Amino acid sequence: MPITADQFESLYVLRLQGAVTIDEAAQLKNLLLDGLSSGKNLQLDLRQAALLDITTMQLLWAAHRDAEQSGQALVMLEPVPEQISIVVRQAGFDDSLLTVIPK
Amino acid sequence: MIDKYKQAFQEEAREILVELESALLELNERREDKELIGRAFRALHTIKGSGAMFGFDQLAAFTHNLETAFDEVRSGRLAVTPELINLSLAALDHIKAMLEASGAGAADTRGSNEILSKLRELTGAPAAPAAEPAPAAVATPVATGTVRAWRIGLRPGPDFLQNGANPLLLFRELRQLGDLQVRASTTAVPPIKELDPVRCYINWQMSLSTAADPEAVRDVFIFVEDVCELTIGPVSSEAISESPAAIVPVEKQASPGRRASDHGEAASSIRVAAAKLDQLVNLVGELVTVQARLSEIAGRSEDADVLAVSEEIERLTGALRENSMSIRMLPIRGTFERFRRLVHDLARDLHKQVDLTFEGADTELDKTVIDQLTDPLMHLIRNSMDHGIEPPNARQAVGKPATATIHLSARHSGANVLIGVKDDGAGINSEAVRARAVEKGLLAADAVLTEAQLFSLILSPGFSTAKQITDVSGRGVGMDVVRRSVEGLRGTIDIASKSGGGTSVTLRLPLTLAIIDGLLVRVGHARFVLPLANSLECVELTERDIENAHGKPMATVRGELIPYIRISEYFEMNSGRPEREQIMITETEQGQFGLVVDQVLGDHQTVIKNLGRLYRNVQVVSGATILGDGTVALILDPQRLVQDAMRMMAVSRPCAPKVRDRATSASGAG
Repeated sequence: MPITADQFESLYVLRLQGAVTIDEAAQLKNLLLDGLSSGKNLQLDLRQAALLDITTMQLLWAAHRDAEQSGQALVMLEPVPEQISIVVRQAGFDDSLLTVIPK
Repeated sequence: MIDKYKQAFQEEAREILVELESALLELNERREDKELIGRAFRALHTIKGSGAMFGFDQLAAFTHNLETAFDEVRSGRLAVTPELINLSLAALDHIKAMLEASGAGAADTRGSNEILSKLRELTGAPAAPAAEPAPAAVATPVATGTVRAWRIGLRPGPDFLQNGANPLLLFRELRQLGDLQVRASTTAVPPIKELDPVRCYINWQMSLSTAADPEAVRDVFIFVEDVCELTIGPVSSEAISESPAAIVPVEKQASPGRRASDHGEAASSIRVAAAKLDQLVNLVGELVTVQARLSEIAGRSEDADVLAVSEEIERLTGALRENSMSIRMLPIRGTFERFRRLVHDLARDLHKQVDLTFEGADTELDKTVIDQLTDPLMHLIRNSMDHGIEPPNARQAVGKPATATIHLSARHSGANVLIGVKDDGAGINSEAVRARAVEKGLLAADAVLTEAQLFSLILSPGFSTAKQITDVSGRGVGMDVVRRSVEGLRGTIDIASKSGGGTSVTLRLPLTLAIIDGLLVRVGHARFVLPLANSLECVELTERDIENAHGKPMATVRGELIPYIRISEYFEMNSGRPEREQIMITETEQGQFGLVVDQVLGDHQTVIKNLGRLYRNVQVVSGATILGDGTVALILDPQRLVQDAMRMMAVSRPCAPKVRDRATSASGAG
């Protein structure tokens, strides 16, 4: 299962593992929506991720912006694997996609 | 609707692949031939272009790589080598498989990557990935020249990602051309709640500095341009602006019309389902039968008006029949060409050198016959390659050229067509065949057989399954299959062979399986049809002629002695001999023969009906037809009749009564 979600008292953790692509896009969207509507702090764990495609990046970017707009914290767990940073940059996104938005 | 177009593409692509295959194989023999290289390139280009258009994206992407290789060949940067040909043939098979998988993404990605990586090794050029997982790309710029900067705008359409397009791969390909800067514009991305997760809302602006020519840049997007808005334009040194003037829209990759440039007449032809043609011929057959009835009635009525109409309808029916039959006629070339590949592959696998030559490939045959001819021919060629033709060193040892020849020929002979498969291999060891036949109980140890009769034993089922046949004579595998297919077509097989000098197999097949021009004759109360195409002339046979011949079945026609067979005697009809008989002189492979009948009634458009399984062993009768008065007439096969009569004389034993009884009872049943 490439995506797993864990809920704690004030934390919603989303773990992306292996290749997360268009096949998982619908699931990722729902989980991100869950997390955003939970009112909890969002934590993204890409440490075990191997590959993201455009759909995933697009969803992460949208989640990022929505969190920012609603003043929710979105924390990216370090370290993000090098190949993930590279592919994100290659897709024309800047590094802000993978950085932390503090509350 | 879309399926219809897809199907049309598949059909067209199959044809193009056949042409491509023959171009590749010819190219293997004439490696410098620019015309052939051009043909191969154009075929690939068409498949790629149309493939992309009809949603065969993987197929198009894969073909693109091969096309690129042939572009290199065309421009002289890559030489035609056996490796390239073999690889191209493998790629062609893969394209075929992708085509049959209907582009639904079921294609074998591993197979395609394997071929592509070999292709890359050969060309030393980077290739576009066929499917998703791109192998570690070797970044080598394609062309030389001055480095120029390009501004590229990519705005994906709603279906962009679902169609399998992957911007990351496009960027990667662009990076292989030069230095690439990518900027994603996310302004169109909606709130996550409203976001369709499989749709791409992101647009990209890129700048690329490359020495590659503009075509190469455009080619990167060739498979996605239908599902996105694309702008490519040079970044001019003064105009840094994003002025629309600098934006040059990408030309659509037009699918070159069905090789219209090669064959002018292609434009004026249409594609019709074979089933519709079959139906047409069936209807014409019915019409011919009804028309025969009309003629019969009109002939009796003595009403001049009815007679006139009947004659007019007869004329029209004849024209209609000829016309609809001619629609179904196809040159056999396509079938012959297909074997180039078989011979090429087998020669490689068996380490033999074989040239395949054709003769009379433009000979036309009924489509049904052609369709059913592929299998037997394939078996014959396989046999020839496997067992007949010797390895190069063995050939040289006996003073033959190292390269053997298989010669395929086709020619008309009356209402038949003769298809020959001839090799210059080792030939059949007749003693071994004989020994084997005796061992299998097919032949009495002391039987006297002509060589042709002996060879025909190879066709019997017992021989084909015997493994040892390879040891004794080196022939026989699948020959039973050949016999059955050819007999299914109402054809015959002749085998001639010279030990050490090669083997020649001739298939004699009817031109058509549906309707023929026949000559209606009467013997006693029975009527028979002889194929008009074999008939030369009709002469009278008088008592005096018979006396002059001193009891021998010979007639003198314009000073020439012609042997004859009396049909009533052959079938033991006991119909009594009329005062005047008529001899139909027919052309057979054994020369001219006369068939003696009581009366020649006239020509007859003959719709051939099969006699059914019960009569399948009755070889001298090729079918039956329904006459105007509703009775049945048997259609005789003069060739077989003469052969059978000669066999009876040669073996000098009473002719097989079973055959005759069946034939006459079938006739009487009508």
